Amino acid sequence: MTDLLDALTKLLLFPGFAFLFACAMLFAWIDRRVIARLQGRVGPPWFQPLADWIKLMAKEDILPTGTNGWVCAALPVLSLAAVLTASIYIPVGGWIAQAFEGDLIVVLFLLSLPPLAYFLGGWATGGVYSVIGGNRSLLQYFSYEVPFLMALCSPAILAGSWSIAEIAARQSETIWGVLVQPLGFILALVGLIGKLKRVPFDIPKAKSEIVAGPLTEFSGRKLALWHLSIEVKTVVGIFLLVNAFLGGSGVSGLLPAPITFAIKSLLVLLILSVASVLYARLRIDQLANLGWRVLAPLALLQITVTVWIGVA
Amino acid sequence: MLRLRSIVYLLPDLMRTLFTRRSTVRYPFGPLELPSYFRGRVVVDAEQCRGCGACVRDCPSTGLRLRRDGQGGYRLLHYPDCCANCGQCEASCPTDALHLASAYVAPRLAREELAETLVEHKEERKKRGTRQTHPAG
Amino acid sequence: MSNRMTIPIGPQHPLLKEPLSFMITVEGERVVDSTLRLGYVHRGIERLCQTKTYVQNLHLFERVCGICSHVHTTTYCQGVEALLGLEVPPRGLHLRTLLCELERVHSHLLWLGVLGENIGFQTIFMYAWRDREIALDIMEELSGGRVTHSCNVIGGVRIDVGDAQFSSIVSQLNDLEQRVEKLLDVIQHERTLRVRTQGIGYLSPEKIRNYCVVGPVARASGVDVDLRRDCKYAAYGWLHVNVALAHEGDVWARTMVRAREAIESLRLCRQLLVGLPEGPTQVRAPRRVPPGEVVSRAEAPRGELLYYIRSDGSDKPARVKIRTPTLTSLITVHDQLEGVETADVSVVLSGIDLCIACADR
Repeated sequence: MTDLLDALTKLLLFPGFAFLFACAMLFAWIDRRVIARLQGRVGPPWFQPLADWIKLMAKEDILPTGTNGWVCAALPVLSLAAVLTASIYIPVGGWIAQAFEGDLIVVLFLLSLPPLAYFLGGWATGGVYSVIGGNRSLLQYFSYEVPFLMALCSPAILAGSWSIAEIAARQSETIWGVLVQPLGFILALVGLIGKLKRVPFDIPKAKSEIVAGPLTEFSGRKLALWHLSIEVKTVVGIFLLVNAFLGGSGVSGLLPAPITFAIKSLLVLLILSVASVLYARLRIDQLANLGWRVLAPLALLQITVTVWIGVA
Repeated sequence: MLRLRSIVYLLPDLMRTLFTRRSTVRYPFGPLELPSYFRGRVVVDAEQCRGCGACVRDCPSTGLRLRRDGQGGYRLLHYPDCCANCGQCEASCPTDALHLASAYVAPRLAREELAETLVEHKEERKKRGTRQTHPAG
Repeated sequence: MSNRMTIPIGPQHPLLKEPLSFMITVEGERVVDSTLRLGYVHRGIERLCQTKTYVQNLHLFERVCGICSHVHTTTYCQGVEALLGLEVPPRGLHLRTLLCELERVHSHLLWLGVLGENIGFQTIFMYAWRDREIALDIMEELSGGRVTHSCNVIGGVRIDVGDAQFSSIVSQLNDLEQRVEKLLDVIQHERTLRVRTQGIGYLSPEKIRNYCVVGPVARASGVDVDLRRDCKYAAYGWLHVNVALAHEGDVWARTMVRAREAIESLRLCRQLLVGLPEGPTQVRAPRRVPPGEVVSRAEAPRGELLYYIRSDGSDKPARVKIRTPTLTSLITVHDQLEGVETADVSVVLSGIDLCIACADR
């Protein structure tokens, strides 16, 4: 009974749904506020992401005729469920719900489901903008996913384990991953920007070309769940990067574990926000060029160097 | 080196902007100020107005209307929903009675409530005014 | 017929600030064909002006376009003054030209922001529009309105510049010039902006001449037309204008031309203020215009603006015909869109500086 209660608390409260929901709202607000300040504006108040979500949940939910209502309702739920499940295996501030050898692979697989749902959302609703956005999102997925996976494999090779908690613990004892593999960190960041569809890689949802891409025809509760899944994916992606490269919530001796973890997560979030203010949006063929001509060879180089270090 | 720098060219400007004053106002969480030279509400100095109707004749829309009562009295009405705040009435007035003040027109729930009477005179106005050129601004 | 899709850059689209209908046929990611429909903002201004007096029409023509409102009234007033045989005093001409140049600055900064927004570079949008606020503040200080200045009258201007205003405006102009030069620097060197705009939307000088394109779009392809230097209307007889030219003919060249024109306009503004002659700012104009017809031209921020005015002796015009510069640029979009990628459609449409309210009247 206590096991069940414990599992439910871990799933629903901390570090589960409620905690992730709060973190998603907080990270979304910090992101928008930092971007606004960098652009010389004031920025939204703290309750803005929450207010937007509540407003969307209350709005009318319509779909074009001829679309399959069940599929369109299931896709955002699938996307959200995938990222929430992925968060189970990622340590947060020293706490973790579940860990086993190889959970890095499971997390990476689960994080690759939302792009698939996104693409299917575009095809299921079937307007011109949605289809073009869906095509672009798939092409973008193939461009950033390989470097991202390879960049996240290098800390695993260095730590000699495929469990995220193990990697984080090993790094906090010896040396942070970002100091040994800076290239890997940069590649993982670029891959994360592509995964989260932020500028300069927000090509599938390019507002000035294809309105909102695959999500054009969604509205109301479905759109609220899509946005929530994107925001939770931001949180989960940042937590994953912190554990894989920045030593997780390791004991630094100065501050308690949750505070260090929070500081590191906010640092990665700041880097993502600054990156989205620095650049214009790339074209899809330019991204494909970048992904396969620059990022993938660099990721290969990173893995080679890591294996060589590991051997030596 | 410039090629490498061109990848993060905007970064120094971004950091500098972080420490300068914000360009957007905090309205509605803070007050909104109007400068003194803003062309806003139409106000009339009732003593100077003699009901010639030059403002009504030159108004591009029907923002200003004059109603005469047949015994020499008149009423000057202003309809802010038709008014374009162009200031032609201010320029056409020969007695310099009409000004565009630096204030907003207050909103109302019904369109008819927006109309306001600027000047109302019951007897005939024979006083002659002088035309002045406006001071700068 | 393989996988052709028709994308409506329709009357409502986040790319467009005003309604316009482009139907773009794409095959994969390449544009194959495009059609254009105008008329969504047609307000019948040319017919409406026949029912109003010349004085009332001043404010009607100001509202043809919000971005280039002052140059519309300038052209109209020039035409009516020519019909009346009036000569505007030099101080009035200087102030009129000062506002024309300030409007050019504000229009080019607005365009730069819109270009940034349409290629996903929101920061340039925020920075350009933040700097544009200074130009709007100067125009508000001079005339009382940010967008519709209504300071032209037939016979001159009805604003004036005092000593306190003079110093404040000059300091704001200096501040603005520094900021625009910083923006020009960023445009020249920032990698992603160049990557998105270079090589897109090329127009050769022959096509420019065939389609009678005017303005920065023509100057960016090497066709040297500028009414300020060629016609010397208003106070341009006293000024020397350095016309910005480029030869690449793509959207990148148009960006550079407009940025350099903005800096040149700021220099001209300062020259106009410093050399402001004494005297009255307007002359008294009669209400009835003798019969005649006149063609009046001015250099709007988007190119040559043309007014044909015919009068029949009453106090209402018989016919006013407006030819706006955006109309000439819109005709070239079909040629520019041949073979570009879908993502570059927004770049091409931003590059010609759309002002549909002008084109539709």
